Amino acid sequence: MPKRKLDPLPSAAFQILLALAGEDLHGYAIMRQVAQQTDGRMRLGPGTLYSSIQSLLEEKFIEELDARVDAKLGQDRRRYYRLTSAGRKLARSEAERMADLLRVARARKILRRDYV
Amino acid sequence: MSEKIYALLLCLYPSHFREGYGDSALQLLRDRARDEKGFFPKLRLWLDVLADLAISLPREYSNAHSALIAASAQQRLEGAPSFFVLEGEAPRPGALLLGGVLSLTALAAFPVLLSQVHHQARSASTSDGQQQGRFASPQQQTPQSNPEDAASQAARATTGEGNLDAAERQRVIEAAVADLKQYYMDRDAAQKMADALLAHRKRGDDDAATDGKALADLLTKQMRDVSHDMQLELAYIPEPMPASRFDALGRPLEPTPEDQARYRSAMEQSNCTFEKIETLPHNIGYLKLNSFPDLSLCQPTAAAAMASLNHADAIIFDLRDNRGGQPEMVSFMAAYLFDHPEYWYNPRENTTQQSWTQSPVPGNELADKPVYVLTSARTFSGAEQFCYDLKMLKRATLIGETTGGAAHSGVWHRIDDHFGMGIPETKPVNPYAKADWEGTGVEPDVKVKAEEALKTAENLAQSKLQKK
Repeated sequence: MPKRKLDPLPSAAFQILLALAGEDLHGYAIMRQVAQQTDGRMRLGPGTLYSSIQSLLEEKFIEELDARVDAKLGQDRRRYYRLTSAGRKLARSEAERMADLLRVARARKILRRDYV
Repeated sequence: MSEKIYALLLCLYPSHFREGYGDSALQLLRDRARDEKGFFPKLRLWLDVLADLAISLPREYSNAHSALIAASAQQRLEGAPSFFVLEGEAPRPGALLLGGVLSLTALAAFPVLLSQVHHQARSASTSDGQQQGRFASPQQQTPQSNPEDAASQAARATTGEGNLDAAERQRVIEAAVADLKQYYMDRDAAQKMADALLAHRKRGDDDAATDGKALADLLTKQMRDVSHDMQLELAYIPEPMPASRFDALGRPLEPTPEDQARYRSAMEQSNCTFEKIETLPHNIGYLKLNSFPDLSLCQPTAAAAMASLNHADAIIFDLRDNRGGQPEMVSFMAAYLFDHPEYWYNPRENTTQQSWTQSPVPGNELADKPVYVLTSARTFSGAEQFCYDLKMLKRATLIGETTGGAAHSGVWHRIDDHFGMGIPETKPVNPYAKADWEGTGVEPDVKVKAEEALKTAENLAQSKLQKK
């Protein structure tokens, strides 16, 4: 398979990594977690979600767990995903990159109400 | 019903995706359809699905395409073309037809919907600028008329060195013209600058700028040549600025909860940048403050610091490493130095409640004590406001070096992922009827090297206290 495009890290993939930082989740739970952590601004559609999951799996930033039932959502078996240590590292370095960016933004007077 | 339609739509994806994730995608749609009942949630669900389709389909196929290229590159023989097929099956005619119709509908609908908001916000001035720009170069084809569509986003991602084409230049100039006319504090000057930008454009003066930074610097110079406003700038930011962080007018949104959490923990770890609070010999209070942090977060720390120096006979504020901060904190700290509300000049905002210090502070005994402020060339922005206002009010002796010189601040307007403008939107009224410190810095009363400032201040304070 060709190398998927995770460099630079797309925001959907980053949000998925963040969503999985807390606990192992299945696709729909990831979608809801991402919506929650972005205040509803990002609702991942099935195509984007699973295409990002596929890329993250290929690069071993997340791993797939055995399918199991989520009792809250009926009897369907669902594929769960877990953050790997490489994925955690990637998420951290992306967050640090954004923090650096934030510092630049402050220095360039981009953020309102801040002189910096 | 929804599920059947989506199952059909799934046929549009490459087979490797369908086989791997088709069931999961259908399941996700079922989950959403079950949880989101009612007309509007359903409508939103389908808008999401169509948007998702428009974004993820091209990506999936481009991934398949790059696999094809990689495979053919490995096996290509010199001069002999070869073909590889990644798909295990040919798409059915029905799927192709449906796919074509749906893709066209989605592609046509979404740019229109998305651009509605954008165009409403800046319709008048933008269309004006665009027409002039086009007239200037009729031979030029503008590949994307809608700045928000996916293709142009991708094109923009490569606006680094040497990659800037004529269309991108034109788009940035048009946006700059529109933003100037709409937001700049002085309408006449805005018009003159806009005319200058378009005149330069027409003469081809901008054609040499083939990378983002060169163009940003050039356009900034063209605007400043007319207005001499050093706060006005057009900047190129190499790191992309996602549109989601900006409002419909291109202004930055408030910091996200994550940003705030990060700032909060930084402040907790650094004692709100109150680096040192101590009493020097002869009962001189010394406070080293390295920024003016968020008042809502750091008010208790600031109040505690000032309370611990309450019985000092003189006070030294060390702002030599202070790079500025929030006006509210600047004013909060100044309040301790007066026994009545004092007018507090802030060049970044028009008159507000913050313009008066909240003096007297209950229990405070520092209002009549000698004040010394240590400065350096690194003293910046909000810290300079503290220095300037105390100097103008003759309430402090400034000791050290001339400060950095950052008085005004423009409001940032995003143009696209890499370009934006800092535009001063209001004109400050200086009550001291003289220039503030923009570009020149605040001159200290006693000029010494920054590293000698503390010693000098201690000596001055001592001799003043002994005279009493």
